[in-house]
Amino acid sequence: MIQLLLVPAALLIALVFGIPLLRYSWLSFHADSVLTGLVAIPNHGANWLRLLHDQRFWQDTYQTARFATVSVSLELLLAIAIALLLDQRWRGRGVVRAISLLPWALPTTVMALGWRWIFNTPYGPIEQFTELIGLQPLNILSNPNITWLATVVGDVWKTTPFAALILLAGLQTIPNDLYEAFHLEGGHPRAALFQITLPLLQPYLLLSLLFRLAQAFGVFDLIQVMTGGGPAGSTESLALYAYLNAMRFLDFGYSATVMISGFLLLVIACLIAWLIIKQTSHWREALK
Amino acid sequence: MKRRIFWKIVLLFSLTSVALFASWALSTRPVQINILMPAPFAESTTDLVQQFNKDHHGRIQVQVTRGPLETEAVSDLAISSLLLGKSPFDALLIDVTWLPKYAAAGWLIPLDSLIDQQQIDSIVPGAMLGNHFDGKLYRWPLVADMGLLYWRTDLMSEPPRTPEELIKVSLKLQKEGRVANGYVWQGRQYEGLSCVFLEVLDGFGGQWLEPETDNVGLDSSASLKAASWLRELISSGASPKAVINYAENEALQAFKSGDVALMRNWPYAWGELQKPNSDVRGNVGVTTMVASAGNRSTSTLGSWGFSILKGSSNPQAAAKAIAFLTSTSAQKKLFLNDSYTPTKAELFKDPELLSKSQILPELAKALQSTDQRPSTPLYAQISDVLQRNLSSILTGQSSVSDAMANAQANTKKILMAARETK
Amino acid sequence: MNLVLQNVGRRFGRKWIVRHLDLEVGEGECLALLGPSGCGKSTTLRLIAGLDQPNEGSITIAGEDVTTVSPVDRRIGMVFQSYALFPHLTVFANLSLGLQVRGIAASERKQRVASVLALMQLEDLAERHPAELSGGQRQRVALARALLRDPLVYLLDEPMSNLDAQLREDLRPQLRHLILQGSQPVIYVTHDQHEAMAMAHRIAVMRDGKIEQIGTPQELYHNPLSLFVASFIGRPQINLLPAESGIIKAIRPEHLQLSSEGIPCRLVYREWLGTSQLLILESNRGRLRMLCASEITIPETIKLNWSPEKEHQFDASSGERC
Repeated sequence: MIQLLLVPAALLIALVFGIPLLRYSWLSFHADSVLTGLVAIPNHGANWLRLLHDQRFWQDTYQTARFATVSVSLELLLAIAIALLLDQRWRGRGVVRAISLLPWALPTTVMALGWRWIFNTPYGPIEQFTELIGLQPLNILSNPNITWLATVVGDVWKTTPFAALILLAGLQTIPNDLYEAFHLEGGHPRAALFQITLPLLQPYLLLSLLFRLAQAFGVFDLIQVMTGGGPAGSTESLALYAYLNAMRFLDFGYSATVMISGFLLLVIACLIAWLIIKQTSHWREALK
Repeated sequence: MKRRIFWKIVLLFSLTSVALFASWALSTRPVQINILMPAPFAESTTDLVQQFNKDHHGRIQVQVTRGPLETEAVSDLAISSLLLGKSPFDALLIDVTWLPKYAAAGWLIPLDSLIDQQQIDSIVPGAMLGNHFDGKLYRWPLVADMGLLYWRTDLMSEPPRTPEELIKVSLKLQKEGRVANGYVWQGRQYEGLSCVFLEVLDGFGGQWLEPETDNVGLDSSASLKAASWLRELISSGASPKAVINYAENEALQAFKSGDVALMRNWPYAWGELQKPNSDVRGNVGVTTMVASAGNRSTSTLGSWGFSILKGSSNPQAAAKAIAFLTSTSAQKKLFLNDSYTPTKAELFKDPELLSKSQILPELAKALQSTDQRPSTPLYAQISDVLQRNLSSILTGQSSVSDAMANAQANTKKILMAARETK
Repeated sequence: MNLVLQNVGRRFGRKWIVRHLDLEVGEGECLALLGPSGCGKSTTLRLIAGLDQPNEGSITIAGEDVTTVSPVDRRIGMVFQSYALFPHLTVFANLSLGLQVRGIAASERKQRVASVLALMQLEDLAERHPAELSGGQRQRVALARALLRDPLVYLLDEPMSNLDAQLREDLRPQLRHLILQGSQPVIYVTHDQHEAMAMAHRIAVMRDGKIEQIGTPQELYHNPLSLFVASFIGRPQINLLPAESGIIKAIRPEHLQLSSEGIPCRLVYREWLGTSQLLILESNRGRLRMLCASEITIPETIKLNWSPEKEHQFDASSGERC
């Protein structure tokens, strides 16, 4: 009977996720572009064949995976540190908790413009500083080898608060008793981090990992505003490529193909992340 | 019984009169014309729109939807609304490069029946480029835009005219310590880079793409020379490495601060450079892009014009509004207030404008030597391929020959796939 | 081995939670800290464990002043009210974690944990997680962990409060036996006087952060030094007669006797308890509780009396014995 109450939610999910997913899967087997007069014509997997041989798609896949992995790893590390700090009792903690959420509340486009300015050569603060200490300009946004790291910085800054918030909630579910018991057993507070905190935080780590992976795989606005996918296409994400195909090139069939393959890659990435965490933990027990 | 019939008649009568009144009220309500424009255009045309609505009071009511600041975002907005079926917009201010795509998608209505030959003859030939697709007129120009070379009159007596001269003077001025940087332009991987390249390519006598024949010239020797020269600008130090991420605004800020000798930009920059906060006010000259010996100096045409969308309920009224907004007097106002380059030929000889603007003759000259980016519905893909490969050259990721061969091959692939689909 | 608290005080802000606390628990002795919630008994326990620091006074364990020693180094065997078992570890890992962090070799760990598992009859549960154990089993694991600590002092914080009544009675002798095997002093915190009397050699009754009386269960029962102790110890509760010239008389329910002379009462309620019966009686001196053998038949109206040596007298204003 209880399951009956889930029906509206299930319908809603089917509506907002299922239908577009089906529609895009269907579209990926059709030519639908400005050349077909925006009419979908079956093309027998030609889009998928094209995808397999599309160097740019594979480069973007590599870039997206690299961006997501590095950015999410850094975010989680930082988020753990911030959550631990915010979990301690100290004067002004409430204010800092509120302030630390600000980057997350800021619209991505606004903060992406900000980062573009910060990394700007020669007027941005970073280059001003390198000039001050007598170094050559770094040209961070003009170097295909490092520009993507600048976008990682932007992403980490923006989304770490979100992960930290989830982890903070997780920390607060760990009873203080456990730490006290651990200390009485002769364990030092530092060891408690690895023996108690992190193992018990694992369900929350997994939760934020999956959330963040999904977001990072779909990264679009940050890249679009900060670098436009450049230089030399080095920062282009799959979502940006799908967007270009749909809105700029008016090639909806191929855009759907890119989008669906990006979705499949995300599912694979989440499965891998889940398996790794599951292997090394007893998080299911902690959830009981 | 009689009474009931009486009431029925009264009811019928009153209903009919309400319906009649409503239809009369509706028929006399002014025709609503909704035009979507990028934010800067929406702002500068506010007075003109008010004027038009006053003149056509009760008959046509123009309403301007203020689009996003970023031009591609305006296109996204328009396309989204068009894809959903009935677009709320009657007309759209569109960029020259969007036109073939929109026309091929069947979103625009031809203007041939709405605009006569006399009107067409009143436009500068350079500004008539890019308004047609498949032999039909789809766009009516409001503003002409062309790439210009800005130079510092306090640093040199004559602007450089050839690619070699440009590098030489840039290096010389830096060496003498008179400026920090030589030449700034748009090297970011975006549409601006294609515009920069097209001018240089023309200056070396090359051609990007011939849409009629699908002839691609990106691996020609002129293309290789053009790309090599852009790379040399950076490697020689004539341009700072940072131009690899410069769009129009970054270039303008650098030039405006007085740190730079030369800049490639659009006419709007002139107005900005004359503002009180500009460090180079009064020391700026304008000319067209450099060209190698024996080749023509060219400006990439970038212009904005109005198109009427297929779903418009009243194309005639929309055309009336467009005619007013692009009229000689309107363009004159827009030039005086916002330095929008006119498209009407007579304005370039207008004594009032000539007395107020010293760059008008240069603009006229540039308009006579404009080149248009390939007019094809596939332009966005093709330009995207070029941008990526040029960016790859500028950042040193690829050699000039590899990247241009790659650009050539990928452009051909796009054209070939298109032919197959058709 | 013993435990000594001297003039220990702890305050939060300006409010003293415990103050002027003096305690001595000897070798192998079990002392119960008994009192209502908020009396400071848990705070006292945490101060001894080192989980909280006193603002004044000193704490000595086995002759060593540990007032400023970290809990990590105090060698305390503690059983938490919640048992505080690590939910992500199996019973075996729960028990060996402490040995591991104290740097004991794997082989020795295994052997020591195995012997404690055997002692506590937990062998079959070694691979389970705490969530898969019953309350009693959890308590045994928590005790086993405390045993493995090889402590100088045992601290038990309401170890029975999470168990049902039947289980409590079953476990009491077992727990007592285990704890008293060693020579360590034991502090047993509880709010249940019955449990305190059953488990402890001596009981310290606490109230408002102070020790009201300390003594053997018999001393507390037979010779309460205050009205508070008299009412807190013993069930059914002691009868308090209305004050007469500043004196409150108190008589335990089992010391009331039927007699021809005495306070006239009317039976209101009768509760049969098996070998005994509890009578609730209404009199002109208030409501009285009486406990007597269940064979006796009680008429509607009776007269009650008691022998004077069974009577306790307290000062009505101070509550102290007089």
